[in-house]
Amino acid sequence: MIEKSGQISRRDFLKTAAAGLALSLAGRSSFIEAKEEHDLVVISGDPVTATRAALEAMGGISRFVPKAKRVVLKPNMSFSNPPEWGSTTHPLVVATVAQACIDAGAQRVMVLDYPLRPAELCLKRSGIQEACKSIKGVHVLALEDRKFFREVKVPQGKVLDRVEVLKEVLDSDVLINLPQAKTHSATGVSLGIKNLMGLIWDRYSFHSKYNINQALADLATVIKPQLTILDATRALVSGGPAGPGEVQKPNLIIAGIDPVAVDSYAVSVAPWYGQNFKGRQVEHLLVAHQRGLGKIDLEQLRVFKGKA
Amino acid sequence: MRTFLQALSFLIFTTLFIFANYKLPEWLPADVYLRLDPLLGLSAVLAGKEVINRALWSLIVLGATLVIGRFFCAYVCPLGATIDFWDFLSFRQKNRQGLKSEASWRKLKLILLILFLSSALAGLSLAYLMDPLPFLTRFYTFFLYPLLISLINLLLDFWRPLFEALGWIDVSHLHYAQPVYYMTFITFLIFAAIIALSRIAPRFWCRYLCPLGAFLSFLSPLGLFRRRVNPECNECLKCQKACPMGAVQPDPKKTNLPECIQCRTCAKVCPQGAISFPALSPANREAQLGGEYSGMDFSRRGFLYSFAGGLTVAFLAGRTPFTPLQGKHQLVRPPGAIPESEFLRTCIRCGECMKSCLTNTLQPCFWESGLAGLWTPKMDLRFAPCEQNCNVCGKVCPTQAIRSLSLEEKNHAKVGTAILRKEACLVWAQDKLCLICDEICPYNAIVFRAVEGYRRPVIIASKCNGCGFCEQRCPVQGESAIVVVPNGEIRLKEGSYVQEAKKLQLEFKPDPGDDKYILEQSGFKDGDKKDLEKSERPEEKSQSPKPKGFL
Repeated sequence: MIEKSGQISRRDFLKTAAAGLALSLAGRSSFIEAKEEHDLVVISGDPVTATRAALEAMGGISRFVPKAKRVVLKPNMSFSNPPEWGSTTHPLVVATVAQACIDAGAQRVMVLDYPLRPAELCLKRSGIQEACKSIKGVHVLALEDRKFFREVKVPQGKVLDRVEVLKEVLDSDVLINLPQAKTHSATGVSLGIKNLMGLIWDRYSFHSKYNINQALADLATVIKPQLTILDATRALVSGGPAGPGEVQKPNLIIAGIDPVAVDSYAVSVAPWYGQNFKGRQVEHLLVAHQRGLGKIDLEQLRVFKGKA
Repeated sequence: MRTFLQALSFLIFTTLFIFANYKLPEWLPADVYLRLDPLLGLSAVLAGKEVINRALWSLIVLGATLVIGRFFCAYVCPLGATIDFWDFLSFRQKNRQGLKSEASWRKLKLILLILFLSSALAGLSLAYLMDPLPFLTRFYTFFLYPLLISLINLLLDFWRPLFEALGWIDVSHLHYAQPVYYMTFITFLIFAAIIALSRIAPRFWCRYLCPLGAFLSFLSPLGLFRRRVNPECNECLKCQKACPMGAVQPDPKKTNLPECIQCRTCAKVCPQGAISFPALSPANREAQLGGEYSGMDFSRRGFLYSFAGGLTVAFLAGRTPFTPLQGKHQLVRPPGAIPESEFLRTCIRCGECMKSCLTNTLQPCFWESGLAGLWTPKMDLRFAPCEQNCNVCGKVCPTQAIRSLSLEEKNHAKVGTAILRKEACLVWAQDKLCLICDEICPYNAIVFRAVEGYRRPVIIASKCNGCGFCEQRCPVQGESAIVVVPNGEIRLKEGSYVQEAKKLQLEFKPDPGDDKYILEQSGFKDGDKKDLEKSERPEEKSQSPKPKGFL
């Protein structure tokens, strides 16, 4: 569990954001070469510094966020639980990425989710709204009405023909996925690909109508984040996805372009329900891999590991 | 001056209504108007046979009426303000004939008052039907507030492209959840009828129907301020025509004192300036009296008939199977609702709890518990759940039929228990990969256990407080495969829910270790193990069982 100090560092973060940016710009050159060499970047540290270092190691956020573009960030803020529960993305991870996008010249940054609990409470209790409050150009929104969604076809869908996706996501230039590492009672783990379910209108059909593992892979063929930054600073290793459950602290930020690779690595960082698993053992990841959506075997991945 | 005070009171009432939501601060009594209502208070106290602290606020209005007179109707009552406003807007120009037998019609409100009080004495709460404050609050809750939200959303939708173009992102994505209620139409009809009656006579409601007005008119003749007409009166009868209450007698010097609401319209229209409202000191009341007054005109027989009428209604309402069934009622009541029979007697059906409910799960009853239960709040958990971070329903309840509880206490006020309808459950009946109830349960009261080689949801009743997230989210069409029934509810008139729950060995604090249970087969009985081995999935036999989603 995270102590109260999390709140102090949030304030600290806002104060030192400028200084941090200067630092990160200075340290940037050493990572630029790294970006082509590595499939994944895994940084250990606290939410702010690890996220910042991960962005640098990925070659800097400006590699993904061209100037004057619309960016959507998709954290997990589906539950009205505090960050210590490990059911939502850490607010400082979200704020750090949002700040980086703004600094890289993004026109506007939308932090979006279609939460499972009353929206206002989710925004408030997850801490994400407050963390992003003072960053100009960043809008934290929970969209709960169908009018904010638009239907798209799923040409490569095996079970899913069409799906209604948040318009903002379809109309934006860049989507950055910011999932939280946690268990899930239907899919084993809820990581990056599972996090995309928060961008669609009819998620219940995934449970009732379709095979959820197939449907998730289908969804991943139409919603393709340019970057996934997975928050494993805390991992909810039981009782997911809503919690409460056992929270462990791997203190890791895992970033990558390949959504399957990020998730597959994340499977290895903590024991889920008290057991160790590989990415291949997670059905929806395996299906996604078999559908050509990404690499699943860690042996084939070039991983950059660092400490922040 | 009067119009200003009246408008101010109306504004305060409306603002407090809007403030009644889950963010309501502890110090703000959003239900203060309802607390101030002496008829509501008296009726609830008579029916419940118990003193209600919040109802003591109404002593303020009683005292003020004793001193001043029936000022409440003209200056404070928000329904009076609404009726005055519509009068001004729609009926001002109309020639209104009034009713032929005025005096006997006026008695109607007294009859109703006595009827409501005597039925309360016999345990049936009815005053809410016609008391202006719950009446208006209901109209606000079930009609005006949903309408307001609809209009705001329409406006937002209309301007959305513009906001988008201007870069006002937050506004362009603004949308308010639309509250909806079962009794909207009927509430609206009744209200529209009341307003329409003003076509016949100004303040028709206040003159003939309002039981609160009748209640106050008993006391108002004792007040210190009285209409007084001096000899300059030329009997032009302008005051008589202008009086919204019809309280000026055929002889304009005479005043029907119980009906005078001290609005001073007569003084304003008098061309001679002959009318004043001086304060009388009790010592020389006789000496200063310049007017002639008539008092209450109500026979002993009329009183007895109405009293008997109230008892009869209460008898009829009580002698149905609904009353014995109160002990095993079907409805899920809000958390903190006092025991069912007391609840029905105490609840004044103002709708404030339903307005403020964060998720909109609180809905008005129609005939589910008979005449005694009209408009009482029930939880419609298929429609919406109860949020564990909200405790507003008790905070705004003016008679504490729903007790005001801290969040901790409120989450221990178990409203019922979820039961699983296995024949409808997608997992139990069809082996599907559905786990929504488990995913959404805030208390880990739903766990998965291996049955017949497959993990299936099971409810741990001692951890379920009936919040209904599972019932609402269940993706089965029609009736949910997991439903909350009132069984096991905790309804306390006083005392701590936390301690009661402890006593009953209930645990609503989530237990993190719970999910491990499904992995450690040691936790299962031998029978379960055998079932597992006999299952039709031979490939699972040799492996240790894995959590759902893992291969």
